[in-house]
Amino acid sequence: MGDIVVLVKPALNPDMVRAKPDGAVDLDAIPLKLDDIDANALFEAQKLKKTLGGKIAALLILTWGPVARRQKDLRMVAQEALARGADEAHIVADDEIIPGDPVTTASAVVATIKKAGLNPDLILVAEASIDQTTGQVAGRVAAKLGYPYISFARKLEVSDGKVIAERDLEEHIEVVEAPLPAVVSVTQEINEPRPPTLIQIRRAGKKPQNYYKISDLGDVKKPVKEILEQRILTVARKQIIIEGDTLEEIAEKLIEALEKEGVLKI
Amino acid sequence: MAGALIVGSSIQEIREALGAVSSLEGEKVVLAYGKAAENEALSKLGVKVYKLNSSHPDHIVKAVEQLFEKFKPSIIIGWITKNNRAALSYFAGLHDIPMATDVTELGIEGDHVVYKRGFLSERAIAREKIPTPAVVLINQKVFAPVEAEASAQVEEIHVEEEKVVLKEVKPKMLSGINLEDAEIIVGVGRGFKKKEDLQLAFKLAELLGAQVGASRPIAADYKWLPEDAWIGISGKRVAPKLYIAIGISGAPQHMAGVMNSKIIVAINKDKSAPIFKQADYGVVADLYQFLPVLIKKLEERKKK
Ligand SMILES: Cc1cc2nc3c(=O)[nH]c(=O)nc-3n(C[C@H](O)[C@H](O)[C@H](O)COP(=O)(O)OP(=O)(O)OC[C@H]3O[C@@H](n4cnc5c(N)ncnc54)[C@H](O)[C@@H]3O)c2cc1C
Repeated sequence: MGDIVVLVKPALNPDMVRAKPDGAVDLDAIPLKLDDIDANALFEAQKLKKTLGGKIAALLILTWGPVARRQKDLRMVAQEALARGADEAHIVADDEIIPGDPVTTASAVVATIKKAGLNPDLILVAEASIDQTTGQVAGRVAAKLGYPYISFARKLEVSDGKVIAERDLEEHIEVVEAPLPAVVSVTQEINEPRPPTLIQIRRAGKKPQNYYKISDLGDVKKPVKEILEQRILTVARKQIIIEGDTLEEIAEKLIEALEKEGVLKI
Repeated sequence: MAGALIVGSSIQEIREALGAVSSLEGEKVVLAYGKAAENEALSKLGVKVYKLNSSHPDHIVKAVEQLFEKFKPSIIIGWITKNNRAALSYFAGLHDIPMATDVTELGIEGDHVVYKRGFLSERAIAREKIPTPAVVLINQKVFAPVEAEASAQVEEIHVEEEKVVLKEVKPKMLSGINLEDAEIIVGVGRGFKKKEDLQLAFKLAELLGAQVGASRPIAADYKWLPEDAWIGISGKRVAPKLYIAIGISGAPQHMAGVMNSKIIVAINKDKSAPIFKQADYGVVADLYQFLPVLIKKLEERKKK
């Protein structure tokens, strides 16, 4: 009986982007949160645990630092992953691999699986993150471990040592099958995660959170990506709220405004 | 190491990827897979083409491996499609080489590539630099395609062996609408409570001469509209003169797709919905009450 490993990204929250006066992204001022689709991956893991047994291990690799400033956010993300069904969390936080890149993250994931003595049946990963949206860590981890890789799964089942999935592609759906252990990336449509209950939140506090430094893990690739510039994209919008005493009046004012803008065809 | 390996499943994709690396020295070779492998235009690309009669990511990986060994390209490049993302991330993982995705600008600087890409769900833009060999996946319809035609050799490439077995292919219902060319788009979101209610949006669209698009959950999850109506970072990127977002909250992943609209109107019952900060005109109202009134007013106008 193996484990279900879920990659959980402490991601920069794009709903809270902050700019420096010169328009550069103020990374330090943007808080981290549990990445959106990671909640779907954790929810799916809880479902699959019923057939697979074993434990759910959440793996967090910190890619935004400095570590000292991210401690609180990081612990909160780990806590949430535990409340969302993970039995234990393994967390890599080291300024040596910050800011991270996918080469580094994938090698840290593989090293942590070994170090923590995990024995994965399945490794679940979100199709993409909300900060970087590169969607490549899952494929890399599969390649490094020599596991089959099923991407963009919107439906997932396991039985008899096999995983059967529906890959949601642009123009069609593929039903595919692979032997375990396997890496699967999941889409946002795979399930509708329920928020953790109060009891789950309370229990999460008692579950183990293990922290690692690169020196604990051994062979982890150093980041090779250089960030030259990060600028906020500002599209100046008028932000006019149309008000009126009645909906009729508002509708008329709206039509008038669009007419003036020259964007109506009638 | 020099040159590029272009990996694609359509001729347009291959031409755009060739365009993106036109300033790069060294030989360019193409791996055309899936649908592209059947295209006669392959022999007119002017560069050596290998065709692979499969779009299985495991097969693409094997084929890329063979060509990577043979030609030692410094860049492996294609569109940001799901199979490319799947196969080339795996390939990149085999060699621990960097991979840039969703690239909108690309420059070659010696043995590095410098590129621009969206960041923070496209609320920001990043310029980054990685060493070659590297995988680069470019956004569609951003780079000028190489249109020139010249004959060139086409060879078949065979790979077998796969770890993941394909059991069945199910078609998707697509409508064939072309939102990219629409002048006016009415966008519908989860503010609509059931599929039938979308009639309100269709009625409005008809009066305005607009197309109907949707947020991801409406198209991908509920399937109330075909997936080619899906607008956003993982769907269509549109640039109408007028975008009317109805019952859409304004998540960055959705707004990334409508950023280039001239005018954005938001209709939402929650006055603190993020969309109002990203719109030119906002109406704080229940769509079920407001749309019938707006429709009536437009009908009256039309009669005049
Ligand atoms: C990696 C990733 C990629 C994604 N890609 C995309 C993408 O390409 N496109 C996309 O759209 N999303 C995408 N998403 C999802 C995105 O984050 C949002 O979840 C989604 O856009 C929300 O859709 P919505 O606005 O329709 O729904 P909601 O966020 O639920 O908003 C519904 C809105 O309707 C309003 N409302 C409710 N009832 C009424 C009423 N009666 N009258 C008026 N207003 C009402 C509410 O106030 C609310 O603001 C992606 C997410 C991730 C993580």
